[in-house]
Amino acid sequence: MFVTDVRTQIQHRNLEEDAPVAELHDLFCKKLQQCCVLFDFLDCVADLKGKEIKRAALNELVESVATSRGVLIEPLYPEAIKMISVNIFRTLPPSENPEFDPEEDEPTLEASWPHLQLVYEFFLRFLESPDFQPSMAKRYIDQKFVLQLLELFDSEDPREREYLKTILHRVYGKLLGLRAYIRKQINNIFLRFIYETEHFNGVAELLEILGSIINGFALPLKAEHKQFLVRVLIPLHTAKSLSIFHAQLAYCVVQFMEKDATVTEYIIRGLLKYWPKTCTQKEVMFLGEIEEILDVIEPSQFIRIQEPLFKQIAACISSPHFQVAERALYFWNNEYILSLIEENCQVILPLVFTTLYRVSKEHWNQTIVSLIYNVLKTFMEMNSKLFDDLTASYKVEKQKEMKRERERADLWRGLDEYQERRMQMLTEAARNQRNLQERGERGDTLSPSSLQTAQSDQHEPKPSGAPTGAGESAT
Amino acid sequence: MESTSPEIHSGVSAKCRDDKVEELWSLTSFFGYRTQTFVQAVNLLDRFLTIMKVQPKHVPCIGVCCLHIAAKMVEEESNVSPTHELIRISQSRFTVSDLSRMEKIISEKLCVDPKVVTALTFLHLYHSAVASLLAEREEIPSIGRLEAQLKACLCRLVFSKAKPSVLALSLIAQEFEALQSATLLKIIQQFQKHLRIGDSELLHWKELVTKCMIEYHSSECNKPDNKKLVWVVSRRTAQSLQTCHFSVPGLPTIPEMSWDESESEDSCEDLTSGEDSPCGSLGSDGEGAFFPSSFHNCAEG
Repeated sequence: MFVTDVRTQIQHRNLEEDAPVAELHDLFCKKLQQCCVLFDFLDCVADLKGKEIKRAALNELVESVATSRGVLIEPLYPEAIKMISVNIFRTLPPSENPEFDPEEDEPTLEASWPHLQLVYEFFLRFLESPDFQPSMAKRYIDQKFVLQLLELFDSEDPREREYLKTILHRVYGKLLGLRAYIRKQINNIFLRFIYETEHFNGVAELLEILGSIINGFALPLKAEHKQFLVRVLIPLHTAKSLSIFHAQLAYCVVQFMEKDATVTEYIIRGLLKYWPKTCTQKEVMFLGEIEEILDVIEPSQFIRIQEPLFKQIAACISSPHFQVAERALYFWNNEYILSLIEENCQVILPLVFTTLYRVSKEHWNQTIVSLIYNVLKTFMEMNSKLFDDLTASYKVEKQKEMKRERERADLWRGLDEYQERRMQMLTEAARNQRNLQERGERGDTLSPSSLQTAQSDQHEPKPSGAPTGAGESAT
Repeated sequence: MESTSPEIHSGVSAKCRDDKVEELWSLTSFFGYRTQTFVQAVNLLDRFLTIMKVQPKHVPCIGVCCLHIAAKMVEEESNVSPTHELIRISQSRFTVSDLSRMEKIISEKLCVDPKVVTALTFLHLYHSAVASLLAEREEIPSIGRLEAQLKACLCRLVFSKAKPSVLALSLIAQEFEALQSATLLKIIQQFQKHLRIGDSELLHWKELVTKCMIEYHSSECNKPDNKKLVWVVSRRTAQSLQTCHFSVPGLPTIPEMSWDESESEDSCEDLTSGEDSPCGSLGSDGEGAFFPSSFHNCAEG
């Protein structure tokens, strides 16, 4: 929670531009110190005057740093950083809603935003000032500072994260000595997110920063960066809340490809490995990302991954979820992808052909059926001979299958009939035997009359022929 | 009686007719109709276009209608696709009632005979005749292969001018030539004599068929004209397609500098610390395997 409301004397004297420079610096310093006092915003009626004074002071600081030249001298750096630290570094309150779903719920906004926003604004302008000296700043903006800054990215308030994003971006840009450390810490955050907590509100913002960093990678790509792609970015696709940061993630992935085409295979195989099996919303996202990847892929790389990729696409086409099937089929409306398919028609068409045909007959959704027609027609125009060959073998397969079904049905029918006949034979044989026994007991000789009796006996239900279990079940 | 289709009159170009026939083939394949349906449909189409002067804009309706009539004649009732489905899939602009009116017109103008003799009829006859004449050892191309080739030929207007018996014979002759079997060639000659087909006629059509087959068999892929097709997707998918992806970054690029890591003292310390750094060591471009084996074994996320 915040430091309590210790009201100290806050000077009213404003920072005037045309004050003598030494005075200006002094005043600036004092204002900075005074802004280190924190106020409790959870109580909205407490200290209204103090809050207003601080707000005005912060405003002046912001203006001053933005407009005046020569304001930033060395002694001010530690004071500025201290003021910023005191105001922004805090333990983030636990989420009011433990089941907070970033996609659905409204975020809890930061109560002290009226001051906080100005502090962030001040920090940003401080960094962007033409007078800003990285060599001086690096003494105060150190690793410990950066670590705390990164922890703030977990804030639920999107406005705060927006500021943090821009600020960290500038810090990374200007303080070269911190770059490796920043990358490493972001790594840790992501890995913890993926494998331990699955909770962090600032993934999208961090990815946005990474996007601009990846965009600026020097060639050849360092091994460290490639490892980051494979160990962190690809597994990041497995997160449950992927939809929040998918756009930024996809951008990073595509940037990697544009930098170094040889990572393509790792990316695609990685995505295929992590392909969503039960979440169709994610499947649609994955398909979107694949299309973006294919948009920039080099033909030589495409050939290396076309087989496993199109097997997966075929599986998507046969998905009962219509959005997945539609998204997959819509690839054929992309001109560049179409040219890639056309060049490798011999490999790709056999992979998807059976699926297309089967789904066109079975799918419940009529839009899908139309799209399949479009795809089949496209293939037909590409290479009619190959298409005819596949159609022919498909028909042959179908005939064989039907024949096998018929044969199997016949076989079972035959077995049933055989079974019936055998049962009949056994029943008759049993009856005959009983007849003979009884006649033997009665001492009958085989005379025509007794034969007739025996025959007529067969038609009467015999009492002794009662179900065998009846006598025995008297327990 | 053989029915031939001499030149097409009217404002319908050869290309228009050929494109239409190709589309009929697409529909035939898609709906699982038999080759016979297709062949009869083309037969109807060509005959109709010969006797009637039609405007190109009516050709789609005529084509689909011929296919439907043929399907009703050839296929089992349960397999015939309903007209609205036919129209929807072929992305045609006319209505079901347009189609039934056209059906009446075509039925009136043409003698629609399920038993019409086409090149396919002859193809089957020849094929079964050859198969029965041959000893078991000799292999002939399957009827499926020949049907596909006939289909390819029918997609060109020029072949509608051939007599069905001649066309079918040329096709088989052209296939058998590749096999170079004396027996087969003799059989062809017998057929030729029996049907009183002249040498020059057979030669003429054989040449055209050969040329057509060369193009058909070439593995060159033609870039399909995708613009003619309409890609309709559901509203939800259309919406998700529109949400623009992160193509324009909000943050400016930060160029990586090769000397940036050595700038500060504190950068190197942490990385060589004991803890396992996922980044790996700095600048380790060539060291070790790109994917250490431990990576391959790690659990999937």
